Amino acid sequence: MDLLFSPADEQYRTRIRAWLSDNAGDLALIAKAEDPLQAARDWQRKMYEAGFVGLTWPKSCGGQEASLTQQVVLSEELAQARIPHLINGIALTTLGPTLIQHGTEQQRQRFLPGILSAKEIWCQGFSEPGAGSDLPSLTTRAVLDGDEFVVNGQKVWTSLAPIADWCFLLARTDPKAPKREGISYLLCDMKTPGVTVRPLRNAGGGFHFSEVFFEDVKIPRDNCVGEINGGWKIARSTLEHERSGLSGVVALEANLERQRQMAAKLKVGDKTALDKPGNRQKLAQYWIEIEGLRHLGYRALSDQLAGRPPGASASVGKLFSSRLRQKIAKTSLELAGPLAPVAKKSPHVIERGRLHAGYFDALGYSIGGGTSEIMHNTIAERILGLPRSTRDD
Amino acid sequence: MDFELSAEQVAMRDVARNMLGERWHPDKMREAIDKPPATIPTDLWAELSQMGWLGVNCDEILGGGGQDILTAAILVEEAGRALLPSTFSTNLASAWAIENSANQAHRDGLLTELVLGNKRVTLAIEENHGSWGPDTIELNATGNDRDDTLHLSGTKLLVPDGSTADLFLVAARHDENLCLVAVDADAQGVTVNAMKRLDGADIVELELNDVAVPASALLQWGGDGESLLREVYSVFTVLIAADLLGSAEVTLQMTSDYAKERVQFGQPIGSFQAVSHRLADILVQVEIGRSLLYGACLALTEQREERHALVAAAKSWLNETAIDATEAGVQLHGGIGYSWELDVHLHLRRARSNAATLGDSDFHRDQIANYYCDRPG
Repeated sequence: MDLLFSPADEQYRTRIRAWLSDNAGDLALIAKAEDPLQAARDWQRKMYEAGFVGLTWPKSCGGQEASLTQQVVLSEELAQARIPHLINGIALTTLGPTLIQHGTEQQRQRFLPGILSAKEIWCQGFSEPGAGSDLPSLTTRAVLDGDEFVVNGQKVWTSLAPIADWCFLLARTDPKAPKREGISYLLCDMKTPGVTVRPLRNAGGGFHFSEVFFEDVKIPRDNCVGEINGGWKIARSTLEHERSGLSGVVALEANLERQRQMAAKLKVGDKTALDKPGNRQKLAQYWIEIEGLRHLGYRALSDQLAGRPPGASASVGKLFSSRLRQKIAKTSLELAGPLAPVAKKSPHVIERGRLHAGYFDALGYSIGGGTSEIMHNTIAERILGLPRSTRDD
Repeated sequence: MDFELSAEQVAMRDVARNMLGERWHPDKMREAIDKPPATIPTDLWAELSQMGWLGVNCDEILGGGGQDILTAAILVEEAGRALLPSTFSTNLASAWAIENSANQAHRDGLLTELVLGNKRVTLAIEENHGSWGPDTIELNATGNDRDDTLHLSGTKLLVPDGSTADLFLVAARHDENLCLVAVDADAQGVTVNAMKRLDGADIVELELNDVAVPASALLQWGGDGESLLREVYSVFTVLIAADLLGSAEVTLQMTSDYAKERVQFGQPIGSFQAVSHRLADILVQVEIGRSLLYGACLALTEQREERHALVAAAKSWLNETAIDATEAGVQLHGGIGYSWELDVHLHLRRARSNAATLGDSDFHRDQIANYYCDRPG
């Protein structure tokens, strides 16, 4: 048993660090750029050209064929340096692997380069107003008419939609088939007539998500990934294509460290918030839980490296880390004491309102990407082997 | 990067599970609740020695199994599952202390006797101060070790497996430093007063009344007794954490099995989310606990800087995990879960006892807070 990365992996880490410190200046520009979208695209292209995007993809698909451990090292280093997620991150983690596995040669050549270089930004059209956790009950219809699908319906909670060039979506192509067997995986140009995007404001006040409406939208038949009506299995395989979660650990660690430093500065009488025994207990508890998550991640990574199936273990990490993120965010807010509710831009606001944003942001983690309730079901049924709860599917 | 058990460790775990399942019955713990404390009988003790388990983590040259702390923890986890008396983990921790003593005679003599099963050894650390750990120790060892004699006076409490111990490794203050001193059970001035734990385990009060021991009885680590004591405390703590993991895991398994079979309202109760989601939460706790335990064991073996914090993390987390798992076990079994006959309450008693042994969760969080919160920057 050991927790060591190979000398080659450590060399790779050194190379990443050197590259990041040489190029950190560019990153700072993104935050101040007049056209942040273009700046984010430029940053991803720069990373791609340096060989840091599509790391584990085959070379024939524009990737690096790097090892799993190099991927972990890279995500650790990016998180450590607080590099924001790549603008095309959703496509890189889900659509890309899907096309590599299930796409035609033509689809791969057409779409993979744009995903890697961020020349084309993608959004994901899965959730619908009536299909959240029960995604396979989706009702967006796609009717094949000659060489084209005609799509009608609505998607929701779509990230990046206002700026996306393309959308990968699930639509019902056979309403008579059992619900998982009548769904197709389609690729839609967002400039197609009939596509309307309406930004949604979320509970935290931000505009991260949108609704996307499809009204007689025509999609060429060649833009169907895999078989017609075979889309559910394809989508599911990438939904389960979870990463080891070790980069999430680095992010949580950074959150806790910020909390510790904030607590050391916040005055409570003649002491600081960090001197209060209750706060010390909480910080220690989060330290414990982050270490637990880190070592759980090492076990998952070891399983992957040894070729053992990860099974439902990703659900354990997802459930645990979203809860932990929420607890840390909640405590950060509570540490501010009487000043906790002061709104941003008000006099006396703590940390320029960052605590409120962090708190609402954390609330979303147990909903997006599979709710905690669904994670509980998965763990109960697939790990503990308990009988399925009564539900229609 | 390889952070899972080796094939050899898995095989050893399976052998231990079968062997302890056959040779030890949980009824013995149930009976001990109303009778004198449970101890491991001589014939079973001899078998544990023959299996090579009493010194599993000691050097092979010294008669041990040449394995690491993790392997010892895996065996203790099985002992926890099987509700075996704590004598096993107590001796593993004692063996570690003796092996790491700078005194060659301890390793050659004492350790061999322990590994062969001829001598049972225990650690007398805690006193009656309302807390835990080396920092609370007041018992004094006086006399200059150049005089060749040390004199010990004071009272130790909650000494595990004291009624069958032939030798006590007593934590004491000597010249302002902490140390461990080997004291024979039959030395003059030693009084052993029987106590018992909630789970029927054997603990004692150890009274030392001007007990004289030779200076060679001092266990040190390169001339430093305090470092050795703190290290031993962490090794012992991680083993108790492993025992807690065993209780948590076996209770989760028993309860899940029951939830699959028990039918109410025409369906297995495990299909109700009020039941299945609580069990899923326990599984998450168990998996995090197992990860922390492995991390702590590896950190101790590799002598990493954060090892004591990781041990504290594992113990703090598994205290709560084992209590939550066994309380859920009582609740989710319903009426039968509240019965004397079901083993769940035995694990609940063991979990409650172990959780208050070598530091509760608050205590260990305090250790971590001292390590994490007060770092500069």
